[in-house]
Amino acid sequence: MADDAALPVTDESLRQEVRAWLAANWPGELHSEADRQGWMAKVVEARWAVPRWPTEWLGRDLSDAQGRIVEREFAAVGAPGTGQDRTNLWANTLLARGTHALKEKLIAPLLRGEVGMCLLYSEPGAGSDLAGIRTRADRKGDHFVVNGQKVWTSYAASADYGMLIARTDWDVPKHRGISFFFLPMKQPGVEVRPLRQITGESQFNEVFITDAICPAENLLGELGEGWGVLQTALAYERSVMGEGARGPRSGVPEGEGEPLVALAREAGVLSDPLIRQEIAKVVGLKRLNALNTARAKADLKQGTSSALMSLGKLAMSRILHEEARVRTLILGAGSLLEGPDFPRAEDANFLTLNAYFTSIGGGTDQIQRNIIGERVLGLPKEPEVDRDIPFREVRTS
Amino acid sequence: MGTLTAQERLAFQDSVRRLLADRSAEADVRRTMETPSGYAAELWAALADIGAVGLIVDPEHGGAGAGPLELEAVMEEVGATLLCSPLLSSGVLAAGLLQTLGDAEANARLLPRIADGSLIATAALTGPKGGWRPKDVAVRASADGAAWRLDGEASFVTHGQIAGLLLVVAEGPDGIGVFEVDPASAGVSITPLPTFDHTLRLARIEFQGAAGRRIGAPGWAPVEAALDLARVALAGEQAGGARRVLEFTVGYAKTRIQFGRAIGSYQAIKHMAADLLLESESATSAARHAAVQLAAGAPDAKAAIELAAFACADAFVKVCADAIQMHGGIAFTWNHPAHLYLRRARADAQLFGAPDFHRERFVAELEAAHG
Repeated sequence: MADDAALPVTDESLRQEVRAWLAANWPGELHSEADRQGWMAKVVEARWAVPRWPTEWLGRDLSDAQGRIVEREFAAVGAPGTGQDRTNLWANTLLARGTHALKEKLIAPLLRGEVGMCLLYSEPGAGSDLAGIRTRADRKGDHFVVNGQKVWTSYAASADYGMLIARTDWDVPKHRGISFFFLPMKQPGVEVRPLRQITGESQFNEVFITDAICPAENLLGELGEGWGVLQTALAYERSVMGEGARGPRSGVPEGEGEPLVALAREAGVLSDPLIRQEIAKVVGLKRLNALNTARAKADLKQGTSSALMSLGKLAMSRILHEEARVRTLILGAGSLLEGPDFPRAEDANFLTLNAYFTSIGGGTDQIQRNIIGERVLGLPKEPEVDRDIPFREVRTS
Repeated sequence: MGTLTAQERLAFQDSVRRLLADRSAEADVRRTMETPSGYAAELWAALADIGAVGLIVDPEHGGAGAGPLELEAVMEEVGATLLCSPLLSSGVLAAGLLQTLGDAEANARLLPRIADGSLIATAALTGPKGGWRPKDVAVRASADGAAWRLDGEASFVTHGQIAGLLLVVAEGPDGIGVFEVDPASAGVSITPLPTFDHTLRLARIEFQGAAGRRIGAPGWAPVEAALDLARVALAGEQAGGARRVLEFTVGYAKTRIQFGRAIGSYQAIKHMAADLLLESESATSAARHAAVQLAAGAPDAKAAIELAAFACADAFVKVCADAIQMHGGIAFTWNHPAHLYLRRARADAQLFGAPDFHRERFVAELEAAHG
């Protein structure tokens, strides 16, 4: 395999190689968790998991375009496991900033999907102002001792490691005293409690950290440079997240075509001129967002950076809130109800509440508008009163 | 209608941009909008010279032979500079109507003069109520031997008072038809209407036994096709206008200092600007997409045009309206250009159908697409 990788790879020879390999190895479907694990191990071993990565770390040094060829071939037969050089947040962050020892230990298991991971970023006192975190990591010999509280953590209960930002220096301004760790989660000092959301679901947890131990080799980047590592990780996360949000959850099919039209038809109000206006507004917003995304991609292909990229999340928030509003309008008093016997109400009410997942999560709409105003339109930043003072002197709520 | 290569299109758009930057600056717009004719003859001739007036006219009739893509691109520049001209009436609506009617004799006689700018034409499409459907037509045509006589009233006729040729949509014994009328002929009485948008010219036209000459075959379809082309053009104008207004508003927010800071550093202003960027970029996407779909003759072209029509209209009005608020007092003055854009945006939002009209038709397209 190493010999093959040294040869110049043409698009066609690559395509043939992937096809041949898939033909010889892909069983057509995976019936069990054991099947899945076996398949992922094969993909990683054959260097298809991260084809754009360096050969030193299970990759093939392929270009982005060639990576797409591999992904297309896998997708054509329905085989999972490749393209992780684009989508595996954990492995990408580790590759970019991890110590050699931690890479040796975790990269292959991460690519095989054997390691459960979670994010330990937000805190009750540090939401929009993430650099205001107060979880602390204090060096004790060959490890760090971690104390604090994290929130909005998905999969915390099953995670083996959490990507953690913690304060390691309280005497410098807030962005400069933060470090980035892979914190082992399976230890007595880490307690996970489910957080019940406004939708009634529990996708997230609170994580209470009390004298938890983190080996020094689990530090990513240099001490005090965690804010920069976090930006790397967030960039990966946004590139994976950008594509949309959850729809209705009742699972009761809504009929053909545009969902709002089908819903209004079912509710017997499709001839109501007011409802029709509102449907047009929402469907219009959805189509405009799709057109903006398509234009952004075309701009990107031509090498011109696009203002449009940063607008998608803000647009999606508005679409989700508006769609929920119009669903409610269509149902009228029907939206008073909930439960499995009233799936349309269930959907409208769920979407109404879950829209905040997008308009608050991953940066509130208000923070997003700041970013667009400052980075895209070039408007001056608001003065930050805590920017240049030691963190221990920063005012808190 | 043909289509230029991408490179030719960019070069052409650039030549229009440079001409308008030079000759349709704010001072030019203010001067021209106060004249009775509402356009500058020299600039009109220059636009004809570079091929903008005959943009969509077939080369065999002296035009550039371009299509919706080029038209949309040119109109973005037109909207950005608030060009005062009968381009939309003559070069788009009238030329488009003639070409969709496909009357060889009329085209050979009329299109070359429309393309070179020597003849300003317009279409009389609607009656005093100002709708854009067959039932809104308030002119009747009756046969008078081989000739036709027109009676009734057309209103909101764009540039009707300066046109040398009227294409009058009238209800005849065999349905809706288009009739060529000489505005100087007997039985035609033209009254200019005072317009809120001073860069626009509108007229009411009464017909009392006026002589008309039938063009093409009867039917509403050619009229709707010409209207759709005009809607794409208007969407381009709205997108271009919205982008320009946002541009100068953001520029002002960076330089206007209050409480010791640029007002654009305040979130109250910054957040409005971010929202307007979404509006203006969405309008641009919608206008360009509608042009692409119309040029390709795509099955969903109608839905794309309806979407562009309401999205671009609303976006242009919203951007202009909020821009005045963001500027504060300075934009409440006559001398500031913001109100000129708001006036144009409000006019554009009514022409060839208001946003609610297009939303209704958009939903009808959604219904039709899925039984």
